This record gives sequence, C-alpha cells and structure tokens, in this order.
Amino acid sequence: MVHALSEARRVLLPGGRLIDLRPSMLNRRVELVLPDATLFMGEIDSSSTFPDHVAANEALDAALLAGAFGLEHMTTFAYMHDLDALADLREFKAGLRRSVMPESIVEQIAALTADRPNDYLIRIRREMLVARYRRL
Amino acid sequence: MPTRSDTAGNEKSYLRDMLTAGVGSVLEIGCGDGRLTRKYADLPRRIVAVDLPETLPRSDAEPLPESVFVAAASGIHLPFPACRFDHVIFSLSF
Repeated sequence: MVHALSEARRVLLPGGRLIDLRPSMLNRRVELVLPDATLFMGEIDSSSTFPDHVAANEALDAALLAGAFGLEHMTTFAYMHDLDALADLREFKAGLRRSVMPESIVEQIAALTADRPNDYLIRIRREMLVARYRRL
Repeated sequence: MPTRSDTAGNEKSYLRDMLTAGVGSVLEIGCGDGRLTRKYADLPRRIVAVDLPETLPRSDAEPLPESVFVAAASGIHLPFPACRFDHVIFSLSF
C-alpha cells in the first residue's frame, strides 16, 4: 500500500483526487429477509484480513502526516449482496477464500425456510469505507 | 447462481458522489472484472482500468464502455507518466 500510494501520487495531477474504496474492518452479517421481518443469522469471520486493513490504514496515515495527501471526505455505507435460495448461500460459502462462514448459519436458515414458499432473501450485508483525498 | 450485488445502489451512489464535477480522467487500480468501473464509466471522458493479468475481465465478459481502456499493471509499478490523471481510484478487496 505504501508503494501504491506513492505511485498514485506520482500519476495524479496536482490537486487531483485519490478515492479509496474498500470494506471496513467489520465482519459481514448474514440476514434472512422475510416479508414481515429481517432476522440476523450470524457473522462471516473475516479476521484473517484485518492485518491488511491495519496496514492500509497505517500507510494512509503516514501519507497524510508526510503531507502527500489531505483528507477531504470519509464515510461508510452498507453494501448488500442478495441471494435467492439456500443453494446460493452454500455456493457463496464455498467460494469464500479468506473468510469463514459458520455452518450453523446455513443450518439455521435451512430450518427457518424449510416450510416456506419462496418468499425470502438471504442478504449478506457488508460495511464499506469510502474516502477522498486531495493530492498536495 | 442468481444473486444481486449492491441491491440498494449505495456503492454506485457514493462512488459517483466522490468523483468531482467535470472529472476528465480516472485511473482505477484493482479493477478486477470491471464491476465497479461500469458504475461510473459514463462520467469521466477517459478511464484507464488496471489490475494484475489474472484478474482482468475475461474475453467473454460483458464489454466495458468505449471510454474505458483496460491494461495489465501492478499498482506499485504504474506504466504511466507523472501528473497524468485527475482521479485515482483504489478499489481494494480484502
């Protein structure tokens, strides 16, 4: 990240903007969205990625301290990924690389939806961080 | 797998808000398959989207708009001259 920031600054015009868009350090939440309620089912453990977040934050802090960039705006927002069926959740789970979804989440949703018509969504909710920096 | 990403449209909305008015050129680092690029591709006059070769859009993927030039490059060795872009977007996924 340190080298990437240096390269980004090099190719930016003076006064140009760097936009940093990435997940926050919060785990993703799995929700079961029913017609009349949204139920929290559990979290996807992404703690193995936390060192990468810390390193990115430290690199950005250093760039700010060095006067390479100035922070203009930072905020978070929810990124929702919706799945239509339990089979989709199983496929999503199998495709996770560095995060772990407890099997209990799948089992819990299976039990809650077994006798339902197809009137539900499985929602993966992730908090995203977006920030804009001005090249100084 | 029938899935829908960014169903609330928040990512698209926040990203577009972050791009300043009248932006001319954007370099996107970590473009992957162009999922994010498509969300703002109508705004700048020119977009260069880079990523490592193994993660670039496949030849059978939905084509990106003509304003987007895709290149294989690492974010730590950008093959561009200095002072070239109005915006740089870091699109990281951990």
